[in-house]
Amino acid sequence: MGSYKQQPGASSAEIRKDGKRVAGKQSFPPPGSGGSDPSMRPRDLDFIPETVGGREPKPAGDHIHDRARTGTSVGKAMPLVDSNAKVTGQAWYGDDVRLPGELIGKILRSPHHYARIKSIDTSKVEALPGVVAVATGQDAPNRFGVLPVTKDEHAMAVEKVRHVGDLVACVAAVDEATAIEALSLFEIEWEVLEPVFDPKEGLEDHDEPIHWRGKYHLARTNVQKRVFQEFGDRSLVNNPHAASHGSWTMLGVHHGFTEPHAVVAHWDPNGRLQLYTPQQVPHYTHRALSTVLDVPMHQINVIRTFVGGGFGGKSDPFPHEMCAALLARSSGKPVRITFDREEVYWINRGRHPSHIDVKMTADEEGRISSFDIDALIDGGGFASFGHVTSYYNGVLATAPYELGSFHYTGARVWTNKPASGAMRGHGAVNTRCAVEVGLDEMAESMQVDPIDLRLANLLPPHSRTISGFRITSNGMREALERVREGSNWDEKFRQLPLGKGIGIGCGFFISGSGLPIHWDPKNFPHATVHIQVDMDGGVTVHTGAADIGQGSTTAVAQVVSEVLALPVEMIHVRSHESDTSPVDLGSYSSRVTFMNANAAIRAAIEIRDQLLNAAWQMLGYHPNVLVLNDRRIYYKHDPSIGVSYLEALHKAQEDKGALIARGAYRSPPMGGVHKGAAAGLAPAYSFSAYVAEVDVDVETGLVSCTNVWAAHDCGKALNPLAVKGQIIGSCHMGLGQVLTEKMVYGRTGHLQNANLLEYKIPSVHEMPHVEAIIVESSDPEGPFGAKEAGEGPLLPILPAVVNAVYDAIGIRLRDLPLTPDVVYNGIEKHLKKTGLEDPLDLPSPRLQHGTLQATLKARGESHRERDRLRQRSEDTSAYVNGVLFGFDPDRPLADQVEGWREADEPLPEQLAELGFAGRAWLKKEQRHMEDDA
Amino acid sequence: MLMPPFELHHPASVEDAVALAASLLEAGEAFDWVAGGTDVLPNYKWHINPKPHVISLAGIESAHALSPLEIGCMVPLASLTVANGVHPLLAEAAAKVASSLIRKSATVGGNLCLDTRCFWYNQGEDWRRSIDWCHKADCGTGADCRVIPNQNTLCVATYQGDLAPNFMVLGAEVVLVGPKGERTLPLHEFYALDGMKKNVLEEGEFLLKVVLPETALERTGSYQKLRVRDSWDFPEAGIAASWIQGQPESLALASTALESIPRLHAEEVAQVLQTDGMNGSALAKAVHKAVKPVNNTALPPRYRRSMVRTLTKRAVKALMGE
Repeated sequence: MGSYKQQPGASSAEIRKDGKRVAGKQSFPPPGSGGSDPSMRPRDLDFIPETVGGREPKPAGDHIHDRARTGTSVGKAMPLVDSNAKVTGQAWYGDDVRLPGELIGKILRSPHHYARIKSIDTSKVEALPGVVAVATGQDAPNRFGVLPVTKDEHAMAVEKVRHVGDLVACVAAVDEATAIEALSLFEIEWEVLEPVFDPKEGLEDHDEPIHWRGKYHLARTNVQKRVFQEFGDRSLVNNPHAASHGSWTMLGVHHGFTEPHAVVAHWDPNGRLQLYTPQQVPHYTHRALSTVLDVPMHQINVIRTFVGGGFGGKSDPFPHEMCAALLARSSGKPVRITFDREEVYWINRGRHPSHIDVKMTADEEGRISSFDIDALIDGGGFASFGHVTSYYNGVLATAPYELGSFHYTGARVWTNKPASGAMRGHGAVNTRCAVEVGLDEMAESMQVDPIDLRLANLLPPHSRTISGFRITSNGMREALERVREGSNWDEKFRQLPLGKGIGIGCGFFISGSGLPIHWDPKNFPHATVHIQVDMDGGVTVHTGAADIGQGSTTAVAQVVSEVLALPVEMIHVRSHESDTSPVDLGSYSSRVTFMNANAAIRAAIEIRDQLLNAAWQMLGYHPNVLVLNDRRIYYKHDPSIGVSYLEALHKAQEDKGALIARGAYRSPPMGGVHKGAAAGLAPAYSFSAYVAEVDVDVETGLVSCTNVWAAHDCGKALNPLAVKGQIIGSCHMGLGQVLTEKMVYGRTGHLQNANLLEYKIPSVHEMPHVEAIIVESSDPEGPFGAKEAGEGPLLPILPAVVNAVYDAIGIRLRDLPLTPDVVYNGIEKHLKKTGLEDPLDLPSPRLQHGTLQATLKARGESHRERDRLRQRSEDTSAYVNGVLFGFDPDRPLADQVEGWREADEPLPEQLAELGFAGRAWLKKEQRHMEDDA
Repeated sequence: MLMPPFELHHPASVEDAVALAASLLEAGEAFDWVAGGTDVLPNYKWHINPKPHVISLAGIESAHALSPLEIGCMVPLASLTVANGVHPLLAEAAAKVASSLIRKSATVGGNLCLDTRCFWYNQGEDWRRSIDWCHKADCGTGADCRVIPNQNTLCVATYQGDLAPNFMVLGAEVVLVGPKGERTLPLHEFYALDGMKKNVLEEGEFLLKVVLPETALERTGSYQKLRVRDSWDFPEAGIAASWIQGQPESLALASTALESIPRLHAEEVAQVLQTDGMNGSALAKAVHKAVKPVNNTALPPRYRRSMVRTLTKRAVKALMGE
């Protein structure tokens, strides 16, 4: 295909070769090119879907956004738009913000696990030369918290400190040395209280619960949240054909981001607060600042700096942000606070230390008749995202498998440790690991291949989980098949020598949370994007989406570039300031690409339509027959008839100036009506399957992961390079949790390893070769079919490694991380049990297929065709969890079987047999205790 | 983290260094020696025993000496390579220390004089305040030992250097210089059993160089290091072994990272050789019996002690070429 000349002011024949201008004609570079390339690029048919005349395969059928494809950016591997700033060291992170006349803020932290502050005397601090401002909890008594339902934090301790490192007071001084010296001058009278470290103890009544929730407080316990959910026919649990039961202890892990927290606050001459902070969720900080400082939101501008890694650890509004604002307000000067690594661990918000108990059963046809999950999670000193985590630990296990019944009890308790919170794979990771290992164990007892067990029990595309989640696109089957093939599974599983193992694990994760927690989801969008195009042709996109390194800015730039057929260099995304960005919920729950790119597509389509209408006026051809390609709009059947992008733009701007458009995204109403039904609801879900290979040194217990085949269904890879980066990065983070990373609380309850030498993040030596496999199921609601790729890919690596360790040594280990001492202890115990002496004599597990294998294989085969038809919407019949068990999807399940139950509270007769977390249901809320009294 | 202020001195010769140390001692001013600084300076940032004066050994020419039998204290670990004529065992051990970046700065002298480590000790000031201080870091506070409470005399912090056991099994001697002159002693006598004092260096004295006997060149060796990650991590247990091929009586075994000092297990080895000969399992058992790690590093002491057996077996196996 040839290329077409642009239509500049002077036609090509008129351009003088001697460099001089033709009278009356402009000879500026071709409009819209933005550079030296005078030619339009031909349409890249390889990146235009076959459904609209291109050559890009669409196995899942057409997509609503196919008609907006121009073959410009989407699906092309490209470096992130902010990568130059980062690799040249010019990106400005929190601590890079230096305002003239800044003061240095330091925070006084609690030396006690749990204590009441009887008095604070700051007079000596204030008297120290160089100290400009001091603040304590009394200066900011308003409470805040990331979730509106659990606001239990203060800028600094008001009454009690709740863990070592909790904030007590803060000081701003002319330099760091003075500020540090000042910290030693506070005189504080403490009343030390009895701390609680073990979450099991947190379930009991205490004289002094860590927080007090009034009439909603559960007896006098430290339970922050309890959850009960039960669906399905529980009679299936009796007399199972196969069963597995695993009790897990998983230690807490931290995000380990590179950039420690840092904040700069400044009250500008007009009395508005300018707050610079590396935040994943600037909007919540904005709200919390307003509450704590008693200042309306419009008098605060939150400026998100570059974020040096977040992974969920920078998504709470933080007390130090409040401290900086308070100190800046009272001193009248900019105040900068930067954390030491130790302080990063004290503010924490990492993954919850968890005790997880998973029981599961299967019937004689190899169907999964029940999942029973009990998760007791250690929340540390504050609620943070814990309300949601308590649900996610259960409900995100309701897919990708079809279940006969599901039973979940969860409890999150406060303890006197740094607060746990949201971390990549929020709430789903630990339970997923336990469930996937349970399936492996159950497959073994059924004498079937664990991949075939999974393939024969998958929920199809366009179905409903047992808890009522709406599954749309679903690439689970393809992911499993591709890792099986890629890893040569059938030749390795249960056939490797001692010390070598291979294992499988799957993942399921939300792509955006279905419920915006701060407003009515029925009326207000989750994400809004504004686009502005002025005379120069450059496109400015305003979004509040926080780029935390995951590439959200690039994703937004790419989709706008795609719709407008403009090179990505012409798209400028502005997302740093709350003053100019539309409200956005921020970067959590893997929502940004899904929601923001959707909003951006809508805004870009509006701009495109304005351009096409202008071209219609100029050319006389209806937009339906106009083609938008690289900086030019032309008639479909005669490309020589056309106008340049700039010409159309200027026409469109006549009499009204810059083109402005906005687009918004709101997820459709979904889900059930039971208590907690909204937790885990998402407009789409991602699926993944990993196979991991490990080497286990049986004499030392050292495990090294050597190879990973990682297939992730991200719907459509807008940028395959970024998706692969997320998959490999997730592998690294998950490997850390399963093999080496742990927050160690010692005998005295102190966090022993609050530094990056002893908190052991895997180094490049520990990193396996990761074969990233992208599965594209084309989600009907995703932007160009895309779903998340930032969190889901973390989930499968944990169970894949644990299962591979079993394959290598024949021992089930359920204490994470699998540090060498844990593995060695397991080996020692096993030797003792089996009477062997030398670990080198351990037998390797082997698999002899049983009769069920053929049944499962056949069912998996038949389901493949079922799934293909549903994925392409050639079969649009209803499918709800239960069809595999013979239920009619068009009638309420409760009408079809007597034992069917959907419950959010236990029956009295169930109370006695509940697991650890379930014991929280033995207690009553204060308001009901009064009823009894 | 803010580096506490200190005055840095740059003597150009051994004599200047010793004189400077003597004058500071006389004035009652505390000081530390610094070579590569990769151990001392991070500790300073954590306010672990910072001193007002720091004397750099970098300007002393003889401290940079590097030959097969003589290695100066300032020689960076990255230079301990076979290509530089260094004994293969030392090259192997040096390559396992920390990370390639750190090995560019870290030195032989620094590694031998490494401060002992403990997870109650290697912590920031705020952290140590929360445990009501540590008796090794915060001597003025009258604090107790947090690893083994209710004893205030001995420090049980762990020596986690990699080079020492390897030098020991090669029969190395160290040359110490100070205001009282120069002295030479076998490396295994250099360490003193107290995590606080660590070694026999007297006030104002420093380790100038390590000297190997001629016989070291005939020896082959093996170093087995236990660690969680193959980069950065200090050893959680380490066993060095060497012998002159085919001569069991020449066998030497030394351990590190198990106690406050690295140890040469001469007695245990002699005994086993007498009763069982060069038997890996018997040697492993003897060394295992001789060491008593405590709970103050990343891995639990019981496990580290068990690993002594595995590491010793593997080291002996490697010597015998199995």
